[in-house]
Amino acid sequence: MNGVRILVIATFFVFVLMTPVVVASGNDSYYIFDNELQVNEGITIETSIHIEVVEVKRIPLERAKFRITSYQRPERMITVFKEDGPQANRYETYSGASIYLDVIGVYSDSVQFRVSGPSNWRVTDYYDVDPEEGGGEVDEAVTVPKLKITRTLDISSVQQGQTAKVTFKIKNDGNGTASEIELDEPTIKGAYREGCPTTLDDIAAGATERVSYDLKIVDVEPGTYELNPTLLNYKSESGTSYSSESSSNVLVIVAEEVLAPELEIKLTIESDDDVIICGERFSVTVRIDNTGNATTGRITVKSHLPDDVRVAGGEIDPVYESIKPGDYEEYEVTMIAYEPGKHVIKMDVLWADEEASASAEFWAERSGFDKYYIYILAAIPIVLILLWLIKRRREYSF
Amino acid sequence: MLNILVLGIGQCGNRILDSINSEAFGGNGTFAKYYSNQKFPASVKTIAINTAINDLKGLKYTLAKDRFHVPHLHGVGANRTLGKKVFEDNKELIMGEIDKRGSFDLIFIITSTAGGSGSSFAPRLVEELKAAYNAQIVCIAVLPFREEGSISLQNTAFCIKELIEEKPNGILLVDNQYLKKYAGDIKSAYDKINATTARRLLFLIEALNSEMLMVTDLGDLKTVMNGGVGIGTMGFYESDNGNTVKATILGSFKPSGLLFPANVYTEGARAMLIIKGSKKYLDLDLINKTIEELSTEVGQVFKGVLVKKGPAKVLSLFTLNSIPELDRLYASAAVAIRTEKVKREESKKQLDNAFACIEELEPIY
Ligand SMILES: Nc1nc2c(ncn2[C@@H]2O[C@H](COP(=O)(O)OP(=O)(O)OP(=O)(O)O)[C@@H](O)[C@H]2O)c(=O)[nH]1
Ligand SMILES: [Mg+2]
Repeated sequence: MNGVRILVIATFFVFVLMTPVVVASGNDSYYIFDNELQVNEGITIETSIHIEVVEVKRIPLERAKFRITSYQRPERMITVFKEDGPQANRYETYSGASIYLDVIGVYSDSVQFRVSGPSNWRVTDYYDVDPEEGGGEVDEAVTVPKLKITRTLDISSVQQGQTAKVTFKIKNDGNGTASEIELDEPTIKGAYREGCPTTLDDIAAGATERVSYDLKIVDVEPGTYELNPTLLNYKSESGTSYSSESSSNVLVIVAEEVLAPELEIKLTIESDDDVIICGERFSVTVRIDNTGNATTGRITVKSHLPDDVRVAGGEIDPVYESIKPGDYEEYEVTMIAYEPGKHVIKMDVLWADEEASASAEFWAERSGFDKYYIYILAAIPIVLILLWLIKRRREYSF
Repeated sequence: MLNILVLGIGQCGNRILDSINSEAFGGNGTFAKYYSNQKFPASVKTIAINTAINDLKGLKYTLAKDRFHVPHLHGVGANRTLGKKVFEDNKELIMGEIDKRGSFDLIFIITSTAGGSGSSFAPRLVEELKAAYNAQIVCIAVLPFREEGSISLQNTAFCIKELIEEKPNGILLVDNQYLKKYAGDIKSAYDKINATTARRLLFLIEALNSEMLMVTDLGDLKTVMNGGVGIGTMGFYESDNGNTVKATILGSFKPSGLLFPANVYTEGARAMLIIKGSKKYLDLDLINKTIEELSTEVGQVFKGVLVKKGPAKVLSLFTLNSIPELDRLYASAAVAIRTEKVKREESKKQLDNAFACIEELEPIY
């Protein structure tokens, strides 16, 4: 049942996605272009989209590299492999309509390929590319600005609620001033840009501009996010439009860290096998660790001792003004237990409105002497009586 | 305090001595010796002397160091001749043992007259002790059951004779035959006789040692024992509370309370009365009056009064002018000896006759 549904859905999607192609393949007129071009030859579609063949390669796989430029879009290099199918090589134009490239055959210095797209689009120009120029439309007469944008984040990992500083370094590698610079910065849902400019002042040739803004992570789930490339649209002095984009950045958002002290108390009884001798001193070490990430306020320790356990040395319930995170306080108390049996010492550490406790167990045993003391006491008169009896017996036995 | 030595010789003497030691423990039974100490009314030393080691072993209340074995195993078998020889052979040892105990004011020698060891040692001891110590010596001689046989009678006869010859200060008789009435079987009769004898002896010692009102002393004892034939016995009476002290005193002269059958009123020579009890029972005037009366019949009567908690008790000790019972005993002893002699001679004659048959004959092979 599920299988069938998945199949139906999948088929539906494939159908929807394939629609332009299917339509295109069904009727020749939908191919905007279907022909062979030499390397360094280009076509212009609808006067604004330029597709140039940059290079062809047959080994190891037959492919062709195209440079595509269009209005309001940065230049893009696309390598199309033969038989990849048109869907794999989509190019989105400024209007939102897409075109698709599909390589049919690759020859020594030419490639046969198809461009499909909106049915009313036509190839408006064929041109040769001057190899020296290397990009864009040939515009020899005027100066050309060429902005290169690099985007950096001051931290690669940012906590929820914190801010990452995003810096753009924009360099004009061209020979003309870039003006009407528009900065199109994508964002992550739930994050807000503070002080992110949308337009920039003109950048003269060779100049470098630095702009930064704060990216405030407000309501973003922890995870790894890709910050899409920044798009720069600008114009030359002659009014020609250009665009360039930065590379994308990865930003890791981690859960918000709450700052709070956290104390842990630990008791260590110094004894062999946790057995101590009644009436003998033993020491207990108390260690309080701040395992939290904030400094504590005033700390008090409250001990709970069994009735027969006395403190023989040291302060058992000290007060500390504060403990820094990662820091600890340690102190030693000497105690004496008087009765045999199992004992539990409990200690509470109290700070702010919180408390932590620890307990330690030990056995108290009478010392060898204590244990037999009563028997020895009892035995003395018995032995004396026995000795007396033996003496008497000997005195009266002949 | 008087220094007194009590010697128990032979099985009978040993056992009476053991009774004395037992009484000194308070007469509290076998275990008394494990938890209490002996209390004698004076400084009393006791020695049990015997030729039979088993007799010594049978004692219970006498210290081992106070048991002296004369090295002649298993007694002398009622043979007084052998007994005398054993004594002679061990005289130094015996006297040395006694000497270890210091000096004495009064010595009691307790023995049976019918056995071998005790009856032969006693006269010899009297002789030796008289030579060695300046002490009064009183013998307590236990007479046998008359049915014990001719040897017993004969031993008794010779023993008493020899004892008198050695002149001790006195001889007090205890007659098993007469006291047989105490119990049905011999063993318990012995025990009873021994305990009674022991108690009376300790009573006497207490009185002699006492420094109380109207006391008797060793001098009195000597005088009493010197009376008559030097042989006497002891009587005893304990009042039940209704009795007057007079009745109690007279009670102690009753034959039933004596250790040897005698008639104090007809045969008594001298007497000593020891009256003991709570003060309220001891009416001194009455005591004096009673004793005055008695003196007219018995002769010299010494008295001692011991004030001590308890009912009035009277111990009488006296010597006799004549002893009919002893006469009878000697008579039967003589008969026994003669009969024995005749029997022996007849047996010998018979044997001689038998041998005569083979006279002048030679065995032929
Ligand atoms: N009252 C009394 N008489 C005893 C006791 N034992 C033995 N006799 C008497 O003592 C006489 C026997 O003399 P023993 O004292 O046994 O003889 P012994 O002096 O030990 O001499 P041997 O045994 O012959 O070496 C008998 O007349 C017994 O009746 C006793 O415990 N109490
Ligand atoms: Mg014997």
